[in-house]
Amino acid sequence: MVPEMTEELRANKLKTDEMLINMGPQHPATHGVLRLILKLDGELVKHCEPVVGHLHRAQEWQGQNRTWFQYQALIDRVDYLSGMFTSWALARAAEKIDDVKVPLRAEYMRVIVAEMNRLTSHLLWLGTFGIDLGAMMGLPFYPFREREELLDLLEAIAGQRMMFNYIRIGGVQNEAPPGWFARLFKFTGSFPDRIDEYEAILSNNPIFLKRTKAVGILPRKLAIDYGVTGPTLRASGVALDLRKVKPYSVYDRLDFAVPVCNRDGDTYDRYMCRIIEMHESNKIIRQCIEQIPGGTADVLREKRKACSACGKANCPHCGGDLAIMVKKQNAGLRVKAGEGFAAVESPRGVLGCYIISTGSDTAYRIKWRNPSFSNLAVLPELLLDHQIADIMAIFGSIDVILPDVDR
Amino acid sequence: MNSAVFEIGKFARLTLLWLCIIFGAVWGVSWSIGVLLPAVILSQSGESGRFWAQLLQALVPVVAVALFVPLNTCYMVLAERRLLALFTVRKGPNRVGPDGAFQTVADALKLLLKEEITPRGADLLMYTLAPVIFFAPSIIGVMPLLAAVSGNHPLFTPVNLPTGVFYILAVSSIPVVGVVMGGWASNNKYSLVGALRSAAQAISYEIPLLLSIITVCLLAGTLDFVQIADNQRGSLLNWNILGGGALTHLGIGSPWWSIAAALLLAACCILLFALYVICACAEVNRTPFDLPEAESELVSGFNTEYSGIKFAIFFLAEYTNLFIVSTFAAVMFLGGGHAPFPGLEDACISGLRGLLAAWFGACTPFQLGWLVNSLVNPATVSQVFWIIVKSYALVWFASLIRATLPRLRIDQLMDYSWKRLVPLALILLIAVTFLKELV
Amino acid sequence: MLGMVGRAAEGFYQVCRGLWTVFKHSGRPPTTKEFPDVMPELPGAFRGRLALAVNPETGEHLCISCRQCERVCPDKCIDITAHKSPQTGKLELIDFKIDHGLCMFCGLCTEVCPTSCIINTSDFEMSEYSRGALIYDLKRLTLSQEESAYYFAKKDLPPPKPKAKPAPKPEAAGDAGESLAQQPSDVSQQPGPKAEE
Ligand code: SF4
Ligand code: SF4
Repeated sequence: MVPEMTEELRANKLKTDEMLINMGPQHPATHGVLRLILKLDGELVKHCEPVVGHLHRAQEWQGQNRTWFQYQALIDRVDYLSGMFTSWALARAAEKIDDVKVPLRAEYMRVIVAEMNRLTSHLLWLGTFGIDLGAMMGLPFYPFREREELLDLLEAIAGQRMMFNYIRIGGVQNEAPPGWFARLFKFTGSFPDRIDEYEAILSNNPIFLKRTKAVGILPRKLAIDYGVTGPTLRASGVALDLRKVKPYSVYDRLDFAVPVCNRDGDTYDRYMCRIIEMHESNKIIRQCIEQIPGGTADVLREKRKACSACGKANCPHCGGDLAIMVKKQNAGLRVKAGEGFAAVESPRGVLGCYIISTGSDTAYRIKWRNPSFSNLAVLPELLLDHQIADIMAIFGSIDVILPDVDR
Repeated sequence: MNSAVFEIGKFARLTLLWLCIIFGAVWGVSWSIGVLLPAVILSQSGESGRFWAQLLQALVPVVAVALFVPLNTCYMVLAERRLLALFTVRKGPNRVGPDGAFQTVADALKLLLKEEITPRGADLLMYTLAPVIFFAPSIIGVMPLLAAVSGNHPLFTPVNLPTGVFYILAVSSIPVVGVVMGGWASNNKYSLVGALRSAAQAISYEIPLLLSIITVCLLAGTLDFVQIADNQRGSLLNWNILGGGALTHLGIGSPWWSIAAALLLAACCILLFALYVICACAEVNRTPFDLPEAESELVSGFNTEYSGIKFAIFFLAEYTNLFIVSTFAAVMFLGGGHAPFPGLEDACISGLRGLLAAWFGACTPFQLGWLVNSLVNPATVSQVFWIIVKSYALVWFASLIRATLPRLRIDQLMDYSWKRLVPLALILLIAVTFLKELV
Repeated sequence: MLGMVGRAAEGFYQVCRGLWTVFKHSGRPPTTKEFPDVMPELPGAFRGRLALAVNPETGEHLCISCRQCERVCPDKCIDITAHKSPQTGKLELIDFKIDHGLCMFCGLCTEVCPTSCIINTSDFEMSEYSRGALIYDLKRLTLSQEESAYYFAKKDLPPPKPKAKPAPKPEAAGDAGESLAQQPSDVSQQPGPKAEE
């Protein structure tokens, strides 16, 4: 039977079929194990459906079956590129229930390591974003070189490079080793120049601009509707950064700017937001090193030697705010009965943790609010009517990390 | 700082080693079957052996290319990896052999021994034929270049064609057939998309490439490689990239319009060269035009499903093509085998001659002296040396580009070609035609 | 038209800037660490393979079979066999097994150990041909005296008290853990002897 020639068909007689393509879970550019079911019309994406859950590890359930002490060590794995933030969210939620006031020095330490972690996460993102756009060789390696330095520092203080287990309920795990602050300070001094170098390669490159400008525009309203957070949201013109709008820890004492783009953000804006955020994080770290009560670990150690065991509660060298932990943790760590929610601004967005505790040594219920999950949800809308090559540019620019999506 | 210098030194050492291997082998084999064996045959059997001697001599170009291509690819892959390592503050492969010199040999062996997998539903005949079709043109295509590369050495003169440029351009459009065949036959959607991209890309970039080459031919007034190279004898100013001698004709008394035309011509030719480099990058699928195999989008594009020896052939062909376009550019634009400064070439030749005389002078009365002289022809050595330097400089530049630039999108790629490069090429063609008359 | 030429020139300049930046990097020292030839210098806090330390001075085994580590381990990969010695009435360690295939190197066991017996060494090369070989028993876990001394110095742990007096019951694991954790872990800057070699 001859199909009726409609006006539309007559206009384009050559009709092509849509092609169904399965991108992932094993694909070099899906950043882990994401599966995208794509309907392509030639090179145009007509429909996209992300399939998540390949990395599900029951992280919430584990919280209900491990003691608090054990669970702290596990949650770095929720978002393995920014383990500090998951620990921090859990710690803050538990401290809220417990009504604990964390010593000031510990708060500063938390901010320092967290901002370092933000830098490592953004640096890794920058490298992989370069790969996504096809800058195969040069760009990925320079950010990784800096990331390596930061990870070495984090390793020296926390013991491991990604599974830190450093921020604990009530403080942080330990003091920085000798020379650590000096190394970090030196790094922060040279880091802005390094960022400028990445920018020299990418930011104004005509090919890069063509690939990113006006690609994957995320309107403000759509972003809010989907619960997108983090730099992805700020690039779309919503100034939501928990560090600014609801300052926690010592962020209200620090001077930093939050880059917000005042239009509907495209891939380039999201890129720029993260680049500026790296500068800001670097600034935060420098300020923290200068402001930290008691000075750097080396200075403090010297002072403490002088007044060892003075026993006073608020001795300027060893008491009060200079501790790094309210009360030393042990295996029998308990959180008071109650429920609480706390969120931190992770590199990917608002990372929240909701806890119900019955006062036993395990949680009754733990629920995570992961930024990647909401950010990924908006992907199908962004991809519509874009080319195959744009999939990777857009997907890279919203900086999703799959274990964070699947937990 | 020191360690970086150390790495560069290692790279230089490795390059020397490999160039000795490649050119020593090619040179030695060509000489033995082109000069030594015929001489022996002729002296043994006189006139009756003339046929065999000539047959052997005729075989020289084929054998030389067949030997050169795999060896050169081994070096180029290694050099590219080491160069990328240098650019990206790494060390690169340095385990197999001295400084990792034989890493690519080991890789090649591994690829040859690997299992070959044919995907289910693949069209076996096309699937097998694709790498061959992709690779064959590189061997066939390189032939006419040989004469220009060797400074019209008598052994290689027969392969020189009066229309060598056209021959190469014709041959170089064949590989895309192989790519499309491979992509289609693989029964994989990524491969198919990659292959179609490749076809579209090859068609659009062939045009500006051709136009830029035609313009150079117009400038040189010939299609013969040897002549094109010879026209650029003298110095940098005679190279086609600076207008093919337009600047050297100027004197104090030249009229102003002649000077202006010459300068404009030089500028046009630099643009032509840039045009050629861009299009050549696209032709051989190098970044930023490596869409057919865009790793982050299409896994590996048209060769996703290939493994083992078939993949090795694809790989071999890709690097050979890169080398061919570099040599092509060296001959067409960068003065072929001629030194950049006047006198340098003569200095090279006479220096070499002096060296030979010093070393082998004692042997001259004997047969050995003749053999050595036929083995090392100072003029040829100098030509080959300069062309190697120029070709590998371009390969180096391609690596630098690969380390820096992101990839274009397919529609932008098309836009760029049809809306920017083709008009530019046409303008340049007309401009050069007129300016050439004015100078 | 002019605008187009201007943009082309600008683009060309930017590409050249990128190329130049990359080219500059070829003069920078490489970051490659040639691992098996050059061992990385790991900080004292590094959490590598687990091991049981002995008293660096006397060579006595430090474990008092209190099972704190066994209890705290999130992966349940420690298995301690101990019995009450009929002669002295004290706990006596018979076997100590750690399944390194299960362990996630969280270091919790080292934090709770009252005698700093179980420690994370700087060793991370533990590849084996079978999973069974990853289960370390008491003999493979116990460090020699020199190794223990090296790690005690590197991690800046308090020197263990000799066992002469009857070991007190580890009533306050928390207290002991406190004294342990309050000690800053130390990156030993001096090239100490490599314990594994
Ligand atoms: S390091 Fe963690 S997982 Fe490993 S044995 Fe100790 S407590 Fe268990
Ligand atoms: S916690 Fe320490 S002393 Fe107690 S059983 Fe474990 S290793 Fe032995």
